[in-house]
Amino acid sequence: MKDIFTHRTLKNGINLFIHSTDKFKTNTFCIFIHQNLRKETATMTALLPFVLKRGTRSFPTSRHLSLYLENLYGADMGGDILKRGESQILQFFMETVNQKYVTGDDIIDSSLKAFKELVLNPVEEDGSFKQAYVEQEKDVLRRNIESLYNDKFNYAIERCFQEMCKDEAFSIYKYGNIEDLKTIDKNNLYEYYLDCLQHCPMDFFVLGDVNEDEMSEKIEKLFDFARKEEKLVKTSFVRKEIKEEKIVEEKQDVNQGKLSMGFRTNTRYGDDDYYALMVYNGILGGGPHSKLFQNVREKASLAYYAFSKLEKNKGLMLIGCGIEFANFDRTVKIIKEQLEDIKAGKISDYEFDSTVKSLVNSFKESSDSPSMIISLYLDGIINGVRESTDDMIKKIQDVTKEDVKKVAQKINLDTIFFLNKK
Amino acid sequence: MDAFLGEKLFSKRSKNGLMTYVLPKKNFNKVFAMYSTHYGSIDSEFIVPGTGERLKVPEGIAHFLEHKMFEMEYGNVFDKFAELGASSNAFTNYTNTTYLFSATSSFEQNLDLLLEFVETPYFTKESVEKEKGIITQELRMYEDEPEWQVLLNLLRCLYHNHPVRIDIGGTVESIQKIDVDTLYKCYNTFYHPSNMILFVTGCIEPNEVFELVERHENRKNIGVQPPIERIYPEEPGSIHNPTSTVKLDVAEPMFLMGFKDNDVGYEGFELLKKEICIGILLEVLFGKSSVLYERLYEEGLIDDRFSFSYEGQKDYGFCTIGGETRTPERLHKEILESISQNQARGVMEEDFARVKKKFLGDFIQGFNSVEFIATSFVSYYHKKIDIFDYMKALNEVTFEDVNWRLKTFLDFSRHATSTVMPK
Repeated sequence: MKDIFTHRTLKNGINLFIHSTDKFKTNTFCIFIHQNLRKETATMTALLPFVLKRGTRSFPTSRHLSLYLENLYGADMGGDILKRGESQILQFFMETVNQKYVTGDDIIDSSLKAFKELVLNPVEEDGSFKQAYVEQEKDVLRRNIESLYNDKFNYAIERCFQEMCKDEAFSIYKYGNIEDLKTIDKNNLYEYYLDCLQHCPMDFFVLGDVNEDEMSEKIEKLFDFARKEEKLVKTSFVRKEIKEEKIVEEKQDVNQGKLSMGFRTNTRYGDDDYYALMVYNGILGGGPHSKLFQNVREKASLAYYAFSKLEKNKGLMLIGCGIEFANFDRTVKIIKEQLEDIKAGKISDYEFDSTVKSLVNSFKESSDSPSMIISLYLDGIINGVRESTDDMIKKIQDVTKEDVKKVAQKINLDTIFFLNKK
Repeated sequence: MDAFLGEKLFSKRSKNGLMTYVLPKKNFNKVFAMYSTHYGSIDSEFIVPGTGERLKVPEGIAHFLEHKMFEMEYGNVFDKFAELGASSNAFTNYTNTTYLFSATSSFEQNLDLLLEFVETPYFTKESVEKEKGIITQELRMYEDEPEWQVLLNLLRCLYHNHPVRIDIGGTVESIQKIDVDTLYKCYNTFYHPSNMILFVTGCIEPNEVFELVERHENRKNIGVQPPIERIYPEEPGSIHNPTSTVKLDVAEPMFLMGFKDNDVGYEGFELLKKEICIGILLEVLFGKSSVLYERLYEEGLIDDRFSFSYEGQKDYGFCTIGGETRTPERLHKEILESISQNQARGVMEEDFARVKKKFLGDFIQGFNSVEFIATSFVSYYHKKIDIFDYMKALNEVTFEDVNWRLKTFLDFSRHATSTVMPK
C-alpha cells in the first residue's frame, strides 16, 4: 500500500498527517477531534466550533479575526461538525493561498498563528468562555437546528434515519437538539471543551506545497499543549434482521411528496464484502445508469431525482426521491421490484460495468480535490482501515455479479418515511 | 498567452465559428469538459434566422430543451457516458445552457460523444410528453425551496417585463405548451457553433483536442449563421413592486432585499470591472469584517447564513442581500440605515485595500478546481469577458470607482424586499 500521507505522532499524542504536493494553489490544514455521538454531549460538541469562531485571545471578536485573515489574502478559516456513523467530529479547517502567487508576510506562519488561537486560545472571561458569546451562539445553533425543517430534501432523509434508529445513537442529529441547549452554560461548556482537548483523539492534516520536516516542527511547537489519556471513540454497528418494515408518515404544507426508504445493509466499511455493497448501491441508485434512475425517472416519469446512498460507517443505505403525493404506492412498488431484481441476480452487463467504471472514476477524481483526499483518508481512520485509492480501485474491479447478488441477500428494508401534504 | 498562475491557455477557432479552449492540467487525474451555448431562459423572444419569423416561446423552453438533448435516436446519452465511465450533466441558467462531462479515462471517446449529442437534436412527441412529468417534479421541488422562492419573488419585484423575472424552468402550466416543432426552432437558432464554446481542462494535450474537434466539425457541413436577433421587452428604470411576502411551511422567516442596476449595456472588460467593483463594495459594507455584520450578528438579527451577491449581465444587473432572520422589517431598516451612513461618509481606503487582497486570494483558490475554472471561463466568455483579465481588472478598480458605485448603485428608490414567512 502506498500511503500519500506521512504519519507522525506529536509528543502529546496528536496524529499528524502531511501530504506534500504542489498540485494545488493553496495549502490546506484540517483538525479533526473525534467524539462518541451521545445524547449527553452531542449538543455541547456542536456548540463548540460556533463559540470558538467568535474570538480568541489575540483576536477577541470574529471581526478581528476576519480583518486579519482578509489581509492574508482571504485565508479561509472555520469550524463545523461532521457525523460519521456514531462518531461526532469537531472539524477545524484553514486554507491559505500559496505564497508563490502573492507578496507580503509569510502566509502559512501568520495563518497558523490564528488557527492555533481558534482551537486552543478562546477569548476568556473569569476563567471560562465569554458569557455573551455562549448565549448568542446557543441561539444561533437553535435556529440552525430548526432550519433543517426548511430543507425538505434533507429533512426527509434525517427523519427516516431518526425513526429507523430510534434506540441507537445514530438517531441523534449532528447539531444536537434544542432541549439540551437549555442545560448548557459557559461553565459546563468550557469544562467540556477542556475535556475534549485532553481526551479526544485528534488528527491534524496538512496538504500542500510544504516541507514535511519543517511543517511538522512548526506544528509540534504550536500545538504543544498537555493532553491526558485518550478515550476510545468508535461507531457501534448493529447487525439486524428486520421482521416487518415500518411506515412513518408526516404531513406538512408542501408541494411535493418526499419519499425516503432506510435499509440495514449488515455490511460495514472494512468487511470483505464492503466493495460488493458499493457496487450494489451503484447499480441500484448511484447515477443515471442505475435501476432507480432508469425505472423511476426515465421509464415511469415519476420523479426528477431518485437515488440511493450508503452510510458506510454505520452500515445503512437510504433511497430518496421526490414525487407526486398520489404516486406513493406506485413508486414504492417500482423501487421494491428493483431491489428484488438485484437479489435475484437480474443485473445487466451494462448496469454492472457502468457502475464499476463510475466508481473507479470517482475514486480517481477524488485525488483532484484537497478536501476529498482528506475526507477519504478520514473515513479510513474512523473505521481502522488503511488503504490507498489504488487499493480501493483494485477491490472495486475485483467485485463480481455473484458477489453483488450475495451482498443483496443481507440488505433489509427497515423504515419508509413519507413527507405528505396536509 | 502568458502563463497565468502557472497555467497556460490554448485556443482555436473552427471554420464553422466554434471556439475551442484548452487549459491543460497535467498533474490532474481527470478531464473536465464543457460545451456551452449562449442561450438561456431570458432568450424567450427572437427572430428565427433565415425566415424572419418573430417567435415568442413558452417559459422554460431553454431548460426543457436541455433535458431533451440527452435523448438520441438510439436511447439516452447518459447511458453512453456511463459505459465510458464518465459522469455527465447539464444546467440552464438565465443566459446559457451548458453540457459537461468529467472522466478519468477514454477522453477522446467522451469528448466525441459530448460534441455528437449536443449537435444532434432528436425530439419525438412521445418523449417530449414523458419529459413533462419529470420536469413537473423538478418544478415542484423548487416550489418547496424557500431560498429559491425568495429570490424569484425579489426578481419579480425588481423587474416589470424583463424575462429575468421568470423562473428558469418555467411553470407547470407553461411547459405543457412546449412541442417538438418549437424545440427544433430554438435548437436551430441557438445551437449553431458560432454561438457556442467548448472548454476542456485537465490532463489532456491541446493538440489532441483541436484535432478531434476539427475532424468532428469537418464531418458536418454547417454554414455560417448571421448574428442572432434576441428581443427583450422595454424595461423601465423603476422597480415593479417595492415588496413581496409569501407564506411557506418554514421554521423562520427568510429575507432578501435587492437593488436594480440601471447602469447597464457594458460587455467585456468594462463589465468585469463593474462586477468586481460592486463585489468589493458589497463586501466592504456587508462582509464578515464589516461593523454592520458584527452588530447585526450580536443583536441576533442575522446568523452566518447571511449573504450577498451581485449578478451582472449586459442587459441587467442586480444585487441581493439577506438571510434567515426573526425580524425581517428590522433587518431591512438596519441595512438601509447603514447604507445611508456609508453614503454620507464614504468607504474607507483601508477597507478597500484589504478586500481587494481577499478577492485576489479567493480567485487564486478557485484555480484549484477544474470545475471552477471551466464554469467561470464559460460564463464570462458569454459576457465577452476573458477570465484571464481578472487580475488586471481587479488592479484597475479604484477606490473612487467603489465610492461612486456606493452613491449611484445603492439608490433606495430602486430597491425591493422579498420575504418568506412561516405559515
